[in-house]
Amino acid sequence: MLKILLATAMLIPTALLIKPKHLFTTTSAYAMLITFLMLKWFEQPLNHKPHSTNTLMMLDNITTPLTTMSAWILPLMIIASQHHLVTEPVNRKRMFLATCATLQTTLIMTFTTTDLTMFYIMFEMTLVPTLILITRWGSQAERLNAGMYFLFYTLTGSLPLLIAILHLYVSNGHTTMLLLAMQNTLTPNMTMIMWLACMMAFMVKMPLYGLHLWLPKAHVEAPIAGSMILAAVLLKLGGYGIIRMIPLAPQMTQTMYFPFIVLSLWGMIMTSLICLRQTDLKSIIAYSSVSHMGLVIAATLINTPWSTAGAMILMIAHGLTSSLLFCLANTNYERTHTRTLLLTQGLLFILPLMTMWWLVASLMNMALPPTINLLGELMILSSLFNWNTTTIILTATTTLITATYSLYIFITTQRGTPLPNKVLTPTHTREHLLMTLHLVPLTLLITNPALMF
Amino acid sequence: MAAWRSLAGVQRLLGLPRRAARAASSGGAASSAALQVPPRASPAALTPAHAEEEDEEVSVYVKNPDWHGFDTDPVVDLWNMRLVFFFGFSITIVVGTAFVHYLPERGLVGWSRREAERQIKYREAHGLPLLDPNYYDPSKIVLPPEDEE
Repeated sequence: MLKILLATAMLIPTALLIKPKHLFTTTSAYAMLITFLMLKWFEQPLNHKPHSTNTLMMLDNITTPLTTMSAWILPLMIIASQHHLVTEPVNRKRMFLATCATLQTTLIMTFTTTDLTMFYIMFEMTLVPTLILITRWGSQAERLNAGMYFLFYTLTGSLPLLIAILHLYVSNGHTTMLLLAMQNTLTPNMTMIMWLACMMAFMVKMPLYGLHLWLPKAHVEAPIAGSMILAAVLLKLGGYGIIRMIPLAPQMTQTMYFPFIVLSLWGMIMTSLICLRQTDLKSIIAYSSVSHMGLVIAATLINTPWSTAGAMILMIAHGLTSSLLFCLANTNYERTHTRTLLLTQGLLFILPLMTMWWLVASLMNMALPPTINLLGELMILSSLFNWNTTTIILTATTTLITATYSLYIFITTQRGTPLPNKVLTPTHTREHLLMTLHLVPLTLLITNPALMF
Repeated sequence: MAAWRSLAGVQRLLGLPRRAARAASSGGAASSAALQVPPRASPAALTPAHAEEEDEEVSVYVKNPDWHGFDTDPVVDLWNMRLVFFFGFSITIVVGTAFVHYLPERGLVGWSRREAERQIKYREAHGLPLLDPNYYDPSKIVLPPEDEE
């Protein structure tokens, strides 16, 4: 546990001190090695949940898959960023890698901590490197505005969480999640306020429809590494937080969840429809993330074993799929220097092998069998249907629209006539490697879905 | 011949003194310091969004036909590709998948299933009810005497 954490933290001095020639090679190989060592965490032979190695950190079925996924995203971020950093001086490359490594370290601590105060601190700590990534390495001047949206939405949303945690500390004398789930000394009114305060932070982070405006801005303006980590891991912090907080007040969840589930289900339809009207490639993928996360919010709130398992599977599946889509969008962007869909038509004729990746990614995004996206969606859909039969109208409509906009992305980018006067460089090994490294875990996980919940 | 060349590449990658200069390389530490981008004339001016667009005319594949997309230096490019493939595929995906596959099962799910099937076979063979309504044997429970109140 601490070995992995220390290894990840030592990526920061590695990125700062190593010879410039070995910079990307070492950091990406090192990050992959960390992921490999992290697979040891899946060893949980007995039914002891959580199994912790020290008093401050724990591992259980929710923590381990999410942490391993975020560790796997880090080398992919480095590989994906190699092209757009090529013109930068070496010190800025070092700073970029050190920022990514800091983000990774804080993420591991957020996912594994047992203490709510520590969780809050680390939850906020992840904001800083992400903000630096967005506002420093984004490609347009609007990135500053996007950074402001990102920072202030998330900070304002999570301030009530800090107050709730402080109140829990005053009334209980500790803030350990495991103990708080067993004894709760709060009055019902205070529990309600605490529940709302906690959920507010995570609903903004997820994001819930209505609190999601920061997300498309941040995604569109962020550099590729920022988009990848935002879509793959930072959104999952919200789902992780909800799953962790619900045991603290399970009865309160039963009375309070209706508006949130209604908003998330309705938001799924709305954001999928918004996807069909976008002109910006990254914006479509960002709204598609909001739509998928709506399903996760609804599933975590109804809190049945099946729905929680489905939410976990969908979070992992969506993390890899949306990261893959952002990488694909970035390969287009690096060649055409535009994200406008109308200007990037007909890529099938220029980059035929990329079309294959686009097709696979679109099919994964629309949850085609036998992907784990389908498994997660099916588990959530059936548990929501079991909770209330009316939800099938909303969820089935969303599935339909998701298929529509996934095909819309594919058709607008790949089919049609390419614009003249565009000289595009051929694809290279790095890009195919990047797509394969996203897809292989996605396809392998269907052979052992029990790893994810 | 190619193998010798790649071996020479290792020697260069490790920063050892090289025997002969190669035209396509960026050189050692001394010349890489010279390669540093000079500071911009006016820091207030916005950085152009795509500075690399000027040499878009010459394809990178003209300079290095075996370009893998990692680095402009052919040796670094090749070794970056090799190492990332080795650690990504050979170590994490191949060995990692095998490791996860042979882990003991999580949460004893399969064990409890096998145990349940064994119990059912045993109980059916001996004519016992599949599920006993009494979890504990009632004869072994010591109740408090009834006239205590």
